[in-house]
Amino acid sequence: MQRVFVGLVLSVLVATAAPRVAPPAHAAAAGGGAIRGRVAFLREVRPSDPRPAIADLGMADGHHGTPDDQQVAVVYLETAPRGAFEERPGPTVVLDQRNETFVPHVLAITTGTTVQFLNSDKTYHNVFSLSRPKRFDLGRYPTGRSKSVRFDRPGIVRVFCEIHSHMSAFILVFAHRHFAVTNPRGEYRIEGLPPGSYTVTVWHPVLAAKTRAVRIPEDGGDQELDFDLS
Amino acid sequence: MAVGLTRWTHALALTLALTAGPAGAQDDTPPPSRAPRRLTLGIEGLVSVATDDSGYFNYSDYEKSTTELVRLRLDASLRLGPRAALLLEGRMDNGGGPSLSAAYLRVRPFAGHAFDVQLGRIPPVFGAFGRRAYGVDNPLIGQPFIYQYLTALRSDALPASADDLVPMKGMGWANYYPIGSETWDHGLPLVAADRWDTGVQARWAAQRVTVAVGVTQGSQCNPRVRDDNSGKQVLGRVEVRPVLGLVLGASAAQGDYVAESAIAALPPESRDASHVQQAFGLDAEFSYGHWLLRTEGILSRWFVPPVEEPFVPSPLESWGVFVEARRKIRPGLYAAARFDHAGFSTLTASPPPGSTTPLVTTWEAPVTRVEIGAGYNIRRNVVLKAVVQQNWRKEAAEQSDMVVAAQTHFWF
Repeated sequence: MQRVFVGLVLSVLVATAAPRVAPPAHAAAAGGGAIRGRVAFLREVRPSDPRPAIADLGMADGHHGTPDDQQVAVVYLETAPRGAFEERPGPTVVLDQRNETFVPHVLAITTGTTVQFLNSDKTYHNVFSLSRPKRFDLGRYPTGRSKSVRFDRPGIVRVFCEIHSHMSAFILVFAHRHFAVTNPRGEYRIEGLPPGSYTVTVWHPVLAAKTRAVRIPEDGGDQELDFDLS
Repeated sequence: MAVGLTRWTHALALTLALTAGPAGAQDDTPPPSRAPRRLTLGIEGLVSVATDDSGYFNYSDYEKSTTELVRLRLDASLRLGPRAALLLEGRMDNGGGPSLSAAYLRVRPFAGHAFDVQLGRIPPVFGAFGRRAYGVDNPLIGQPFIYQYLTALRSDALPASADDLVPMKGMGWANYYPIGSETWDHGLPLVAADRWDTGVQARWAAQRVTVAVGVTQGSQCNPRVRDDNSGKQVLGRVEVRPVLGLVLGASAAQGDYVAESAIAALPPESRDASHVQQAFGLDAEFSYGHWLLRTEGILSRWFVPPVEEPFVPSPLESWGVFVEARRKIRPGLYAAARFDHAGFSTLTASPPPGSTTPLVTTWEAPVTRVEIGAGYNIRRNVVLKAVVQQNWRKEAAEQSDMVVAAQTHFWF
């Protein structure tokens, strides 16, 4: 329920957001300030285990994600500068399927982005999503092949494999470009922000989201903003 | 019994010792955080409702139909070490009490080799459908005849002659014979997918080939927890995957199916006759894109002790085949269909009243089914299914029967 709520909030906010203090267009173009910091994960989140394979004739040799895959958060502005919504040609990014795991587990993209779902395993995969922002089912396809999906609506898209029920990934689709995915040390940096007040949210697939306010001064510069997730 | 228990306890202890990982340091160091969970659970439930199946085409006993079923399953896997696990499945059907439908030890004796041994109430080695009989892997609601349809043959009661068998055609859901149990009860399917057998099974898997063999208490038509005769079943399966998406399988099994109580009721001169079931199966699965195609065929041969003329031919043969297809239409929505048939060998019975010609007829009534349906995922783990099936039965009462069924199925 919490994820649904956050998803709804994310969808609505990024689709309709405007800065609290509308910055001049030249300020956004000039680059401006940045928000950087570190997200601390105070609770370990484990990857989902495969369901008990009661009907199998032996042990499964498949692999699945590590806790490192789960220590990833997305930090984003709930209210972005107007310039952030400019139409750009949609890039293409790859979401791999490797060792019966989606890599990365969390992907953040802008609307218009095309995601290539690559199968790097020796078995079939069948990527699908029933999420409202993008419903798709790519069918089964073999090793080395990829299929593409373009994401045009903001929101959270949960991605699964129909064959391997323990496989899942999150794609966060933003209407603006002011977001960042934390690196393995939990660090993030959101750049190119014009002076103004912003609401920054950190999102994690399992841990409760947190929101904080920050102000970029007229002379720009980096603003430190750390989060603890538990 | 005490000796048996001790032997089992020792075997279990030895197995666990052989499959244990290196001993950890005896201090307060917490276990590595990346170790897999010790206990994993899964819950699965389904609720099926259907129109009246007056011909008992979907019944797996007198009171239980596969199209009118409320089932709750709890699966558990308890990791006993890096190469051993205890797997359990508890089940409640139609509001009845819980039962343990699977309970076995899974062991990988040699690290780095895909060779596994399973011991206890184990999954079926024979065929393919038995391991996916319930759950999302069945795109429809009904089960194929070869895994569910009840023939007139029983394990606890035997016909004395062909004349006893003929009147029971098409009455697999409740029948009666003069030898053995004197109660009316249901007959045997070719292969019972709903109950698992007890024994030991070994599997070796390579990239393109899997081989499994086993020894169990029961037979394909009558899996057992406790043996009810002195014979064991031996069975095996070979599975080949020549290209990705194509699986070809062949299975064979042989085991005694007649209970000791029925054998004891036979005349002494008939007791040594064979009373085994032999089963041979071929199966194939092909999938690509949004298509999934499956087919499976089984030949079953039941050896019946001869008692009186006209003798029941031995073996009585039965064969069945089904072809199943599923096509995804859009995200969350699919359509599926299955063609299904089971046929039976002939016997010669006494001339019917008013005739002098011996009756030559099939020992059971051949049945055919076409089932079509659709499924819609309202969530990833909640699917709604609706099907229409038309059943036909030759040479017996209730010759056709249309059943409309719906099912909600969920899992966690």
